[in-house]
Amino acid sequence: MKRTLASLSVIAVLLSVVVLSEVRLGKIPREDPLGRELLYLPSPEMLKIVSLGNPGLAADVLYLWSIQYYSYFKPHERFLYLETIYNLITDLDPLYSDAYRIGALIMQIQTGGDQEELEQAVRRLFDKGLRNLPDDWELAEAAAWDFFMRFSDRETALYFAEIAAQRPEAPARIKRMVGVWRDNENAWTLDDSIKYWRRAVDDAEDVWDRAMCMNQLYDAVVARDRQVLEPLLQAFVVRYGFCPSSWDDLIRAGALRQVPPDVFGDPYGIGTDQCSLVAYKKFKDQ
Amino acid sequence: MRAVWAITANTFREAIRDRILYLFVSFAVVMVVGTKFFGMLTVGDEAKIVKDIGLASMQFFSMLIAVMMSMILISREVDNRTVFNILAKPVRRWHFILGKYLGLVAIVAANLLLITVVLMLMVLIVAGELDLMLLFAGAMTVLEMAVLAAFATLFAVLTRPILGSLMTLAVFLVGHMSADLWLLTHQLPGVLTRAVIAVVYYLLPNLERFNFRTEVVHDLPIPAAAVGWAVIYAFAFVGVVLFLANIRFRGKDLK
Repeated sequence: MKRTLASLSVIAVLLSVVVLSEVRLGKIPREDPLGRELLYLPSPEMLKIVSLGNPGLAADVLYLWSIQYYSYFKPHERFLYLETIYNLITDLDPLYSDAYRIGALIMQIQTGGDQEELEQAVRRLFDKGLRNLPDDWELAEAAAWDFFMRFSDRETALYFAEIAAQRPEAPARIKRMVGVWRDNENAWTLDDSIKYWRRAVDDAEDVWDRAMCMNQLYDAVVARDRQVLEPLLQAFVVRYGFCPSSWDDLIRAGALRQVPPDVFGDPYGIGTDQCSLVAYKKFKDQ
Repeated sequence: MRAVWAITANTFREAIRDRILYLFVSFAVVMVVGTKFFGMLTVGDEAKIVKDIGLASMQFFSMLIAVMMSMILISREVDNRTVFNILAKPVRRWHFILGKYLGLVAIVAANLLLITVVLMLMVLIVAGELDLMLLFAGAMTVLEMAVLAAFATLFAVLTRPILGSLMTLAVFLVGHMSADLWLLTHQLPGVLTRAVIAVVYYLLPNLERFNFRTEVVHDLPIPAAAVGWAVIYAFAFVGVVLFLANIRFRGKDLK
């Protein structure tokens, strides 16, 4: 009994030494090791061989590790080897959609370093993902929004949105988003916009989709008509010294053959303050 | 053939009584159930992680079972001299080899089925989908293990258990790297060198031919021809290796 107690006491003492030393070791400041172990990362070819037919598993392990590892960095720091790591993960499993999405997201968290280079790195990762996942519209949409929101790069955002819209499974809202962005960016002519929105109204999938397309069509037609009618109003003002109160004044003056209708066939108004075209948007078709 | 089936059934019964088998199966089941916790660490598709880790565990533990059990089952019969009792009956030596081999494949298949069902349940819990393709991945792993078990049987009659286990393990490793050996033939100078490597490549099993895990995880189409030829490849390889094992066992002095 005594010997057992003595043994247990020794074990308890040794265990407390273990715990104590571990606590003390944890408190000793060490040089920041971030990034150093990454110098020894093997190539994707080597990892594929070592994984013995489980490259997907190797990609998962690296992916899980990267999420934990990069959470130690602060946004103003340079995230070491981030693009290399995500290239490695996506070389191991090229169909790993989350890796492209989250890799790009982690890249965007960085506020330090060369932001232009960072934007290029995000673009390279998304481009790689879209090459490897030719049916994935969600990744393309995510890329579009990332460039729109994070980098305010509307041209690249539109480029990715157009890729998303072309993917076979893309829902109608993605196609509408592209139309709206093109309108906002003046990335096409008003005639092309009108043609696009007329077709979209015909192909609308539900009442909300149709209302949204109708709204865009209405604005596009108004913009085109404004380009034609407002110079006529200004010419009238120059000639007669006052703004016409109705379109009939322009017809009588020989500047117009008939009252111009809007998309719904209703006449536009004339704003006498600035002598400009006034559109009365309302949705009769709902 | 009755003798073969009797040995097969006996091998199966003997194997399921072995504690080492339960140890491996328990590890595999714990690993598959543990995938849920790995999945929780991820951002995004948890089911992919569960399937990847589950399928890899399935392959790894089946390999361990095949290697260990084949060594134990044959060497035990020889060391305990019970092989004489069997061969004294109207049982030929090739009956013994084939029966042992089939019993081993049956035990590996039964374990794989159990692990696959656990994995399917995990995927059902995590993703809410019953992925029947996991059964297909499991079946292809059985084929891979059938080839490996044939080599294990050959090494069991050729050499001592520990060395045999190491050699089977080497076949498993090389079997997953032999595709790279084939790629090497395109890069090396000299027709003779390329020819030698090509011969080595064809003599070694290419276990990657049974690997459809990526297709199963990513829901990709699987060409029927690839599956069909993989089955033929496995049967042919097993036939060749078991013939060699039989030749060696026929001439072996068991005293």
